Amino acid sequence: MSDVGATLALLQLGDSFFPSGAASFSWGLETLRADGLLRGAADVEAFVGGQIARRWSQFDRPAVLAAFRAHGDIERLCTIDREIDAATLSREAREGARRIGIALLKVHDGLGTVGAAAYRDRIAAGEAFGQMAAVHGFVGHATGLDAASTCAMSAYQLGFSIVSAGLRIGLLGHVDAQRILQSQRERIAAIMTTDAVAADALHAYAPAAEIAMMRHETGQGRMFAN
Amino acid sequence: MNTVAPGILRPPIASRPTGAARVGVGGPVGSGKTALLENLIPRFLRRGTDLAIITNDIATREDAERVRRSGLIAPDRVLAVETGACPHSAIREDPTLNIQAADALDAKFPGLELILIESGGDNLASSFSLDLVDYWMFVIDVAGGDDIPRKRGLGVLSCDLLVINKIDLAPYVRVDLQRMIREANDVRGGRPVLLTNCATGEGVDAVVEHLAREVLFDAASSGMDALDRR
Repeated sequence: MSDVGATLALLQLGDSFFPSGAASFSWGLETLRADGLLRGAADVEAFVGGQIARRWSQFDRPAVLAAFRAHGDIERLCTIDREIDAATLSREAREGARRIGIALLKVHDGLGTVGAAAYRDRIAAGEAFGQMAAVHGFVGHATGLDAASTCAMSAYQLGFSIVSAGLRIGLLGHVDAQRILQSQRERIAAIMTTDAVAADALHAYAPAAEIAMMRHETGQGRMFAN
Repeated sequence: MNTVAPGILRPPIASRPTGAARVGVGGPVGSGKTALLENLIPRFLRRGTDLAIITNDIATREDAERVRRSGLIAPDRVLAVETGACPHSAIREDPTLNIQAADALDAKFPGLELILIESGGDNLASSFSLDLVDYWMFVIDVAGGDDIPRKRGLGVLSCDLLVINKIDLAPYVRVDLQRMIREANDVRGGRPVLLTNCATGEGVDAVVEHLAREVLFDAASSGMDALDRR
């Protein structure tokens, strides 16, 4: 793929306009805001930074890379997918990542992305769950992105998902939202210069978000799915 | 090893070759979408239609719980989709979670014929993705003002069926109902407009007959539905 072609593919696949259902997920932010623990843009920035440093870097990124490096091997993809699912603690995080991954795969199936139909068949057969990070890695490879771009797309999508949720529930304005995303670039780039942990050593440590998602299951007045 | 080469596309497939007909029910908050559902459900069930419901709530699961607790339909046939405060996006720009919910209902209930997808309520510019629904109605109400049709909102203009609800309230809110009907027909170029009072069920049979004929292709459905242009 030409440089421009690759850039355009990354812009399309990483855009919030690309349908995945991600707008329905706040990854704990809705509950933390309701509890009064997140009160403004600075808090959202800290929350996003924590999610990038303590979740994405040690969990999503190595999972995405492992799926990318499966090079379309559906058996390997299913194994990685199941490992991600088993290693995700809170139910709403686990099921939310499944729903986004399944939604992405269905869109890619409709677009004709090679391998998406086979992956969906395995999910339908109960052999995989459609975990978001595995799907990101699969999609990046199947659409011709390189590994670094695929990881960057994954990190960016986590960031804008949280920031846009914060914007919609009134924690910050549109310029703050973009400033926060801008502020994460160096953090993400720095993480990507380090070696990723092995796929069998996935771990995340973001207890406030995990607990918030657990509490969200029985919360009232929910706008988001987690 | 089962591998795929990157960057190679195969011909697109149809996104939904089979399954129940999917009908969107959109319209502003308070126009009577859930009340219309509560009137449609027993009528469709009486005529033997295998039915399920999806609600898109703005802030709570209120609408889904209301339908589940109504006793009108088995609770497991009612799904709620949280919209992340973007009900318009969840039925238009990114309808993937609604499609997922409809697919789940299709899989769970073989033989399902009709899924009614109620939007979370939005302004007059909301509309449904045609990847999500086969047909959609837009519900406005008399108490919202008789100027709504002539504002030419996207929902009023582009829906397959416009329903004007709460017609009984016209005298109490100083609305000229006949003018409202005339303007609705004018801006819609003669496409269907039906009147209802969901508090009493008036006019709902015509909505059922219309959907049965236009969506379920029920040849037995007959009777006047679309209003004569006046």
